[in-house]
Formats: sequence, C-alpha cells, structure tokens
Amino acid sequence: MQASVDLIIEGSTVRCLGNWTAPHLHEIEKRLARVEWPVTDVRFDLGGIDSLDTVGAWLLFRTIRELESASGESGYTVQQVGADAQTRRLLELVGAKSEGTDQPPMPYLPGVLESVGRHLGSLLEECLAFLHFIGNLSLVTVRSCLRPWRIRWPKVVQELHAAGVNALPIVGLLTFLIGIVIAYQGGIVLRDYGANIYIADIVGLSMVRELAPLITAIIVAGRTGSAYTAEIGTMMVTEEVDALRSMGVAPLEMLVLPKLIALMIALPLLTVFADAMGLFGGLIMANSMLNLNPATFLSRLAEALTLDAYLSGIGKAPVFAAIIAAVGCFQGFRVFGSAGSVGRQTTMSVVESIFMVIIVDAAFSVAFARLGI
Amino acid sequence: MQIVHDSRLDSPSSIENAYVLQGRDLSQSFGAKQVFSGINLGIRPGEVLAIVGGSGSGKSTLMRQLALLQTPTSGAVTVFGATVTDMEAMSANALRRRLGVMFQQGALFGDLTVLENVSFPLQEHTELSHSLIEQVAMVKIALAGLQPDTAALFPSQLSGGMRKRVAVARGIALDPAILFLDEPSSGLDPISADAMDELVLQLKETLGLAVILVTHDMDSLWRVADRIVLLADGKVAAEGSIRELVDSSNMVAREFFHSRRGRATGAMYA
Repeated sequence: MQASVDLIIEGSTVRCLGNWTAPHLHEIEKRLARVEWPVTDVRFDLGGIDSLDTVGAWLLFRTIRELESASGESGYTVQQVGADAQTRRLLELVGAKSEGTDQPPMPYLPGVLESVGRHLGSLLEECLAFLHFIGNLSLVTVRSCLRPWRIRWPKVVQELHAAGVNALPIVGLLTFLIGIVIAYQGGIVLRDYGANIYIADIVGLSMVRELAPLITAIIVAGRTGSAYTAEIGTMMVTEEVDALRSMGVAPLEMLVLPKLIALMIALPLLTVFADAMGLFGGLIMANSMLNLNPATFLSRLAEALTLDAYLSGIGKAPVFAAIIAAVGCFQGFRVFGSAGSVGRQTTMSVVESIFMVIIVDAAFSVAFARLGI
Repeated sequence: MQIVHDSRLDSPSSIENAYVLQGRDLSQSFGAKQVFSGINLGIRPGEVLAIVGGSGSGKSTLMRQLALLQTPTSGAVTVFGATVTDMEAMSANALRRRLGVMFQQGALFGDLTVLENVSFPLQEHTELSHSLIEQVAMVKIALAGLQPDTAALFPSQLSGGMRKRVAVARGIALDPAILFLDEPSSGLDPISADAMDELVLQLKETLGLAVILVTHDMDSLWRVADRIVLLADGKVAAEGSIRELVDSSNMVAREFFHSRRGRATGAMYA
C-alpha cells in the first residue's frame, strides 16, 4: 500500500510527498527524529506536497529551523525549493507564530510544604467563614423567632414535605433492614445461651438510642443536605442570590431559615418513624429466627426501653438537623464561579455534614454516660 | 432593485458542488411551536457567511444543525458532499472533526489549562507526540492572538474576550475546513470585539477557512461578512452582501438594517 505521506532523502535532497496533514504525520514525525542529516548543503523539495495543514507546516518549519541552526555552525546552507504559494504562506504563518513553542509555559505547581500550608490556610479560612455563617444564622433565627409572623411558613411547609414526607420510604426501608440485621446478629449469640428474650433489649436499645437517629441523619444529609447545597449553589451561579440581596431581601431569611426550621421538625419525626420501623424489623426477625412471639417481644421491649433511652435518641435529632441544614446551606453559599463548583461544594457538604453528625453523636454518648442517662 | 434571495440555492444543480456545507429544507419545531422551516443555505470555501435575525429567530438552532450538533426536525445537512440526516450516526463524528465550533460562552473545559484545552482535539484524534502537539497548540494560541504565557492559565482566570479567543484556538486545532462562531463579539468591549473581527478575517485569509457566523453585531457584518442570511418569521427573509441587503427593498431587511444601530454603523462604512 502506498503511504499517503512520504519523505525521501536522496543525497542532499529531501523530498516531501503526499498529504502532510495531522492524521497522517505520526510516522513521519518518528522518522524525522531518527534521520541522520547529510553533512552538506541540504535542499528541501516541497513540490510533491499535495496538501499541507498547520501541523505539517509546523513539522517542516521545525525540521528546517533545527537543521539551519545546526548547519549554520559548520557553514552549510539549507534551501527550500518547489513550494507552491499555499505552502509558502503556511510556513511563513507558523514561523511568525512560533513564539513560546520552545518551552510551553506550565501552570505553577506548588511544592509539598506549600500545598500543606495552603491547604491548612484554606481550612482555617473555611472554619472562620462557617463560624461567621453560624453567627449570622443565629441572629436571623433569634430575630425571626421574636417576630414569627415574618417567617415564611408556606416555604417551611414546602421544605417539610420535601425533606420529611418524601424521605419516609427510604428511611423506613433502610432502618427496617437494619433492625433485621441487628436482630439476626444478636440472635446467633443469644440462641446459644438460651437467652432469646433479650433480643428485645439488644434491638430496642441499639436502634432507639443510636442507630435510628444516626442512620436517619446520614440518609437526610445525603438526600436533603446535598439538595440544599445544590439549590443555593445554582442560585449563586445564576446571581439569583445577589438579586435577592439587591431587592433588600436577606438570603438567610428567605432561603436558609425555612430549611432550618423544616429540617428541625422533620428529622425528629423521621427518627420516630425510623425507631418504629427498626423495632418492627427486629420483631419480625425475632419471630422467625428465635420463635419469639410478637407479644412476648413487645412486653420485654416495654421493660428494656426506658423513656430516658427513647428521649436521648430523639433528642439528638434536632441537633443533627441543625448541623445538616447549616452545613448544606453554608456550602451552597460558598459556590463561586462556574457550575463545576456546585458539584464540588455539594460533595463537601455531604462529607462534612456526615462527619460532623458522627462527631456530635460521639460527644452525646460521652455526655450521656457522664450524666448517667 | 436587486433580488436578494439566491435562487440557485432552491434547485439542486451543478452549483451545489461549490458548497462545502449545505443545509437543505431545514426546519425545527419544539412541540407545536415551529421555529423555522424550509431553510436552504450553503457556504463556499473561504467565505464568511453571517446568519442574522432577531432574538428567538432560531439563528443559534440553525447553526447547531449545520454544525451537526442537533438533528433537524426535517431536512438534511450536506457536509463535503456527505449528507447527514442522523446526527447520532458514527459517520457524523468523522465529519465533525473537520468542523470547528466556538460556542457563545467558550465552553472551555474548566479543569484543563488553556494549552491542554487547545491540545485536546489533537490528543484525541492524532497519534502525534506530546511535544509536537503542544508546539502546534502554542502556534494555534498565538494565531488566536493570545500571549504565550496565557497557555498556563485555567479558563476561570481568563476574561471573556480571552476565553473566546481560546475557544477559537481550540476550534481551529484540527485545521477544520469550516469554523462556526456563535456570537463571537457578544459581551466584549469594543476593542476586543474589533480584535475578534480582525481575527476572523485573518483566519479566513491565512488558513482559507469558511466561517459561519451567528451575530447581532452590525460592525461585524460590515467588516467581515461576505454574505448574510437574514432569518425572520421562520424563513430566510433576505440573503446577499451587506450592501445588497441595505439597499434592498425587502421590508424585513430594511427594518433590520435601517434600525438606528444599523444606520449608524452603515454610515461609518459608507
């Protein structure tokens, strides 16, 4: 098969043939790198070129330029012949635009120490900004609580529906499954000891005190916290937040407060639902695996599960809700510039709110233990 | 008085071969709303064709159809003699490589530097070495009128005018035969807009590009457009050089080019 592009070196004449265009040039590029140039005057015959694009022109220009600078020292000359007007024009063009090709500038890459420093700096800056945001939000909340008729209640109801009612299926299903798993894992051990009845203690306490509030908060952080960031972030990109500000409407009051109120109502309610579904899962598993009938399970549950335990689980939910809403909205307001930033901040929002929820949960456990609850 | 509509476009004839790109009987509707229908136009090698029309007249949609980015509701686009009716077909991809597009907002990849943005099409479609690709990309960046040190910047660090220039550099990376420019001077200050016009002319002259231009800018129409297609009421209302359109008796063309802006710009070039 005939090559569509070729380079023939006959003595001191270099003949370029065919289509010197980008899709065909990789072979020629490799060959040019290996050529041992004759140590005499060189003549480039460009008459055989059928078509030439800027890539081909650049390759020719580069080759000729290198050869010129090498042969210039030894007194040889490099000549071009046979080029048509189009070829000459392109060669001139790429030659005129060759500034910066020797060393294409690279983006500045900071060293390890600088990266660490910058990262730490931005982390500190973010912590300060978050504190600032929490402060502002608290002010707005207190001010609004003093004038509750100013709160946008229709918006609260809307958010309540989105964050609460719509989350029921997923929260219910997941906590039901977790109830089953806990009962199964506990049941294996209890059966060996003949202590089947205590399955109600295990499922009841672990679900109600820890797992239901935590799992619900994590689901809501992923589901609703991310939605808050994306919603506010998109409004930042399209300058809607600035538009609100320009009309004298405080974005915190309009966008954040209804979300905060709604989530602080929705999350405890979801947690109650999660408690019920988790216990239901445990009950089903106890019945089928340990042959514990539901009545026995429930009566044991009533003894094992104190009001303190129940309230300590539910009581954490509003705190988790405040964290999720605050982090979600805060990250939304940190969106800057392009749409790509919305995605980044949303990811950060979910990671940070789950992280903070777990930290706060641990703090609650320590505090409750000290208080003897 | 000159008849502005080019009647040769209506009948497929021997002239057809002169066009590198041709849209035949193109129409677009969204649901029940018809944006335009029965549009015929073609572009010859080395020609700057401007598509103009009021807001919402479907200029950008028409450009997207011609650039093989949107399947027309009916009609077909012929590029280099190959007729494309299905934009999703693999064969359309090979044709797209020979078309360059500059989108209105630049559409640069935000996580790549300017140099990487311009190198991208070459990396994807050729097997050239990395260093050669970077050198060629630097030539394209210089061709688009940018300083070499711009190459290391990210799109977010660029001004609107520079972003458009980078988009042009990326558009011509593969030496396309046809370059599409969507509102190249919109949102630019007068100096940058003038420079953009000069860039289009320079590219046309040096690389022999055919350019399809969607614009509102009267200055660009006077300065760079060889031929203008005026869209109105979902049809080609008028077609011809700017002088022909300005002097025509066509009502739509008169309204458009004798608007206050049209007259002011026309007076400068008269």
